[in-house]
Amino acid sequence: MNLQIFVNALVNAALIAPPAMAFSLLFGVLKFPNFAIGGYITIGAFAAYTFNVPLGLPLPLATIGAMAVTGFVVWLAHVWVFKPMQAQSAVTLLVVSIALTLILESVVRLFFSADVRGFDIPLERPWKFWGARITKEQVQIIACAVVLGTGLHVLLRHTRIGRAMRAVADNPMLAAIRGVDAAKITALTTILCGAIFGLTGVFAGLDLVIEPLVGWNLTIPIFAAAILGGIGSPYGAILGALLLGLAEELTILVLPSTYKIAVGFVIIAIFLLVRPQGLFGTAEIKK
Amino acid sequence: MTFHMNRRSFLAAGTAALIVPSILRAQESEITIGSLTPNTGGGAPFGPNITASHKRVVDAVNAAGGILGRQVRLYQENSETNPETAVRAADKLINVNGVCAIVGTFSSSVTLGVMPKCQAANVVQMCTSSSSDIPVSDEKGLVFNFQPLSPIWGRAIGELVKARGLESFGLMALNNDFTRSMMDGFIEVVGQEALVNEPFYYNAQQSSYRSEVTQLIEKNPQAVFVPSYITDFTAVYKELYRQGYEGTVITTSLSTGQQFKDAIGDAADGIVHGFPVPAINSPAYKEYLKEAGLEETNSVQHPFGTAGRDQLTTLLLAIEKAGSTAGSDIAKAVWEVTTGEGKTTVYNLAEGLAALREGKEINYSGASGSIEFDEEGMVLGRDFQLSEIRDGEDVVIERLEY
Repeated sequence: MNLQIFVNALVNAALIAPPAMAFSLLFGVLKFPNFAIGGYITIGAFAAYTFNVPLGLPLPLATIGAMAVTGFVVWLAHVWVFKPMQAQSAVTLLVVSIALTLILESVVRLFFSADVRGFDIPLERPWKFWGARITKEQVQIIACAVVLGTGLHVLLRHTRIGRAMRAVADNPMLAAIRGVDAAKITALTTILCGAIFGLTGVFAGLDLVIEPLVGWNLTIPIFAAAILGGIGSPYGAILGALLLGLAEELTILVLPSTYKIAVGFVIIAIFLLVRPQGLFGTAEIKK
Repeated sequence: MTFHMNRRSFLAAGTAALIVPSILRAQESEITIGSLTPNTGGGAPFGPNITASHKRVVDAVNAAGGILGRQVRLYQENSETNPETAVRAADKLINVNGVCAIVGTFSSSVTLGVMPKCQAANVVQMCTSSSSDIPVSDEKGLVFNFQPLSPIWGRAIGELVKARGLESFGLMALNNDFTRSMMDGFIEVVGQEALVNEPFYYNAQQSSYRSEVTQLIEKNPQAVFVPSYITDFTAVYKELYRQGYEGTVITTSLSTGQQFKDAIGDAADGIVHGFPVPAINSPAYKEYLKEAGLEETNSVQHPFGTAGRDQLTTLLLAIEKAGSTAGSDIAKAVWEVTTGEGKTTVYNLAEGLAALREGKEINYSGASGSIEFDEEGMVLGRDFQLSEIRDGEDVVIERLEY
């Protein structure tokens, strides 16, 4: 039981950490909390489903397809919705992003109805070790999250594009003066984050069920992990996801399971009161 | 004969016509009924059958000359198994179409959601919902439920699994009234001592069900009972399988429809599920199969479509009996045409109308069951069936007959 709690927390974290990193990255560049991530994840799940089940592609190929589709949708949302509104306040954009997630979900519901679906792969029994259980699929999800985290680290720290992303996130005007094409970097960031949301859609479809609300159900945990780690800090998001996963698992030892869903909200509230910049974020200097 | 209309009588007739509201004029010519069914969403496997049944009964009665000398008009709306959509649809049915009854609501949240509007407008409701809140909220006695309340589901499933020799159970349920009271009924039958854990509830739309499942199977019970809906049960069952649980998984048949089987594949084999079913040996059920163009098999077909036939048949018989389309008159007549002994038993609308017109007292025995209501308008007794998924198909393993 005890080891199982840690396995459960680890799998939860592996599911939440990549989109929390992407959420943080998007926040860094676009400067508003984008709640459309729920809709993006749902798009990813249904794109992968379409490639995998009706079109019969194997899941790895369907996953790549879903990442491409979601990357494109997120870029399109940026160009059509958020870019024309960039002069608006962060609160306005946040509300618009909530509207966008509802629109995306409704579009999915229109074409796919609200039925539950699954990928065309068999469920597997777990490996057992020291009283805990884990499946091959879950190990793959964890491995993917680790690779993705490392990849993002290398990208941000050791490549020109990554440096440009950080420069745009820090100070877009200064970056522009230094010759960074902020528009191009922003577009690239949205596509990259979109691909990560697409991947999350596939993981969520594997772990839960493919239905129009699948992305929305993950939104609060993702948001909580990003706030906990320090919004705008992709590394903080990883730690945030791990701590959130653990907090959720430990909650049910002391509280009825029905309160688990509130853990994310409580963490958001506590951190916004006590340490608004999160664990890794830097405090904003108000001038 | 020639008919002369002078200026004065023309004005008088015109004024009178304007005074009578247009809706009332529509009602004079036709009896309007609202069919509000779950054609998409969680109830999608059942909604279209209910709709088709409503339509068949109306078409047949119109072809035979209608009720009270008036044609019957059915307005069909899709509830999407969603209370918000349903409330908007009910608003339209009541205020625009002027219906005297709304029939066919399926999930309890939808039935309860549209209830305040129906009660305010004196509109009869006929549903297949199971929440114990339904008779409590029905202050005017206008609601008739064609499905047993959920504690009865829990008790029946409990009886059936006990008969299979299962002795220790782990229990968790989706956190809503339907599933909570089902769990209570189940515990009543199997007994507190058969439980290996303290029963607990989970919320729908969680980002994971891992810790709940870990807790549920911690003491390795012989069977787990998870009253649920299809979306959460699919995620919960995946987790049960992935955490290596090898005992019997028991739930309601509402959670294990074709969508579930498609999403889960071969891993669904072995799940045991139960729900109320039509009395397959009754004459009305056999008639229903013919009406719906189905072959007679020994298994239950269209569990909710049969209730749809019974709802509209009961409603129209009650209108004929009451001689009125006022909600409270219809409600009173529903008991008169369905419940009580020593009356002429009828199995379909044509027989019932003929008997009523001959001045006989009738008792309609339906395709979904014998249709007797308690004083709160809740149906008494339905057959109950337990099935097991084998090779992706439902195989009936036991049936409780009332």
